[in-house]
Amino acid sequence: MNKYFQIAKLTWDETLVYRLNFVMWRIRVVLQILTLYFLWASLIPSGTTLFGYDQSQMLTYILGASLVSSIVLSSRSSAVGDEINSGNLSNFLLRPINYFLYWFSRDVGDKAMNIAFAMVELTIIFAILKPPLFIRVESIHLLLTFVAIILAIIIYFFFSFLLGLIGFWNPEVWAPRFIFTVLLNFFAGGLFPLDILPKFIFSIFQLLPFTYLLYFPIKIYLGQLTTIEIFTGIAISLVWTTLLYVVVKYIWRKGLLVYTAQGR
Amino acid sequence: MFLVGLERSIWYNPSVVISVSHLSKYYQVHQKEAGFFGSIKSLFARKYETVRAVDNISFSINEGELVGFIGPNGAGKTTTLKCLSGLLFPTSGEISVLGFTPWERKYEFLGSIALVMGQKNQLWWDLPAQETFLLNKEIYEISAKKFNERLSELSSLLKVDQLLKTPVRKLSLGERMKMELIASLIHSPKMLFLDEPTLGLDIVMQQNLRDFIKEYNKRHRATIILTSHYMKDVESLCKRVIIINLGKIIFDGELKTLARQHAPYKLIKVVLQRHIEKNSIQTFGRVAKFQYPEFVLISPNEKISELTSKLLKQLPIEDLTIQEPAIEDIIREIFLSKG
Repeated sequence: MNKYFQIAKLTWDETLVYRLNFVMWRIRVVLQILTLYFLWASLIPSGTTLFGYDQSQMLTYILGASLVSSIVLSSRSSAVGDEINSGNLSNFLLRPINYFLYWFSRDVGDKAMNIAFAMVELTIIFAILKPPLFIRVESIHLLLTFVAIILAIIIYFFFSFLLGLIGFWNPEVWAPRFIFTVLLNFFAGGLFPLDILPKFIFSIFQLLPFTYLLYFPIKIYLGQLTTIEIFTGIAISLVWTTLLYVVVKYIWRKGLLVYTAQGR
Repeated sequence: MFLVGLERSIWYNPSVVISVSHLSKYYQVHQKEAGFFGSIKSLFARKYETVRAVDNISFSINEGELVGFIGPNGAGKTTTLKCLSGLLFPTSGEISVLGFTPWERKYEFLGSIALVMGQKNQLWWDLPAQETFLLNKEIYEISAKKFNERLSELSSLLKVDQLLKTPVRKLSLGERMKMELIASLIHSPKMLFLDEPTLGLDIVMQQNLRDFIKEYNKRHRATIILTSHYMKDVESLCKRVIIINLGKIIFDGELKTLARQHAPYKLIKVVLQRHIEKNSIQTFGRVAKFQYPEFVLISPNEKISELTSKLLKQLPIEDLTIQEPAIEDIIREIFLSKG
């Protein structure tokens, strides 16, 4: 296990080498949050409701979605496709190390850094704007939110890895990833709460894995889901996690058969 | 020749560490026609061509051997190394390395081999090389004591002790190569595959590296396979060579035997005292080079003394030396005749 801890630590160190780059990235995230925040604050003036959300619920949803998406929807494994194409993958195949866990450890290092900064930023935003947020303290909801986020991280990781594995068959790995990213934010509920969609569409969404990346953890936090809904959601997440794991493993094995370790 | 009885000997000889029998590796290469319309066409109907990178080769290598793999570009050297180190699945044939099947990539197997490729890098670009070494320490599960011993041994052998804390991107190419080597050897692999290790290095560094490889082979009784385009690497390091061309082995044996078998002649280099017509020199034998006052004659081994005395008697000679043909020339001739 030590090796994976070391990888997470090196990823953290590496981020610190390009401090300016990292700071600019964080600034972009903050600006994005503020844009969405002011948009929804003016759409739902205080004391009114829209789609069943009052101002504080909607603002909590939007701020929560930004925070959760900065934790969930980022993965270093987006480099997998390039590593396959450049032949850099060989370096890992030659060493006694699990390539999935390698990338997952890098994500852990990366996410730890992002969470640390997000905490600081949110505190500052909170202090300046004093938004009417919905603060939840019951530990059972916090715990369930946490579980949902962990599952979301794993599901997204598998998706990202899968997109990288395209590299075994096709050198153009970025086009599919780009389309995926654009659609993902919508499907996962990064722009608005998914339950404001027509009921029929929403019920289809509930079967897709994307719903469980952002929308689901935040709704648990907001306390707007019944216990049955929460456990159904976690069950569906688990099914997707298992399914994706099997698919990723299968494609990985198929890919290694056609891998040519090129680049030289 | 060498391969006779290979299949039997694997099982009886415990010191055989690599055995390859009837290994083939074919690639499907996608052919694209040139230009824009070629690209469009290739979207719909792809043409594939099978390239036989390695075609039914067999050999075996004993523990502690240092073997040179020689062949022109695209001969299948690197593909063979990749199959041996478990990167590639063979299309057909059997490979056993240290008793393992490479492509299964068992951790125990991976922990005892290293493949060093001239241009591949495993170092973390933005961090000091030491960080990569520490990571490898964890990956290979090396104890702190062993790690420190190995690191100080390797870094002093390669003279880079001072650079361990410098970010990799600030190192020169040669320094980086050395760091790559340390990273690849920190787990004391018993089996070493070196693919063009001296590529891009200056003459002094090349020599350093050769000394280092020799020393490593002796000190750890490591088995080493080396490919190189520089015949000097092979000549100074390897007793045995395997020559491969178009995916097939065309020679496997000692370097000495190669010269005897494929070039049963020597070169007589003569410096003249005064000018002699080229025509009259040609009566003595085949002239390889004539540039007054020097000329070089090619003579079959058995005629060498007869020809030398004839030359000394009949020509105004200032100096005469007998040379072995250059290994490079021999190999070039082999490629040209059998390719």
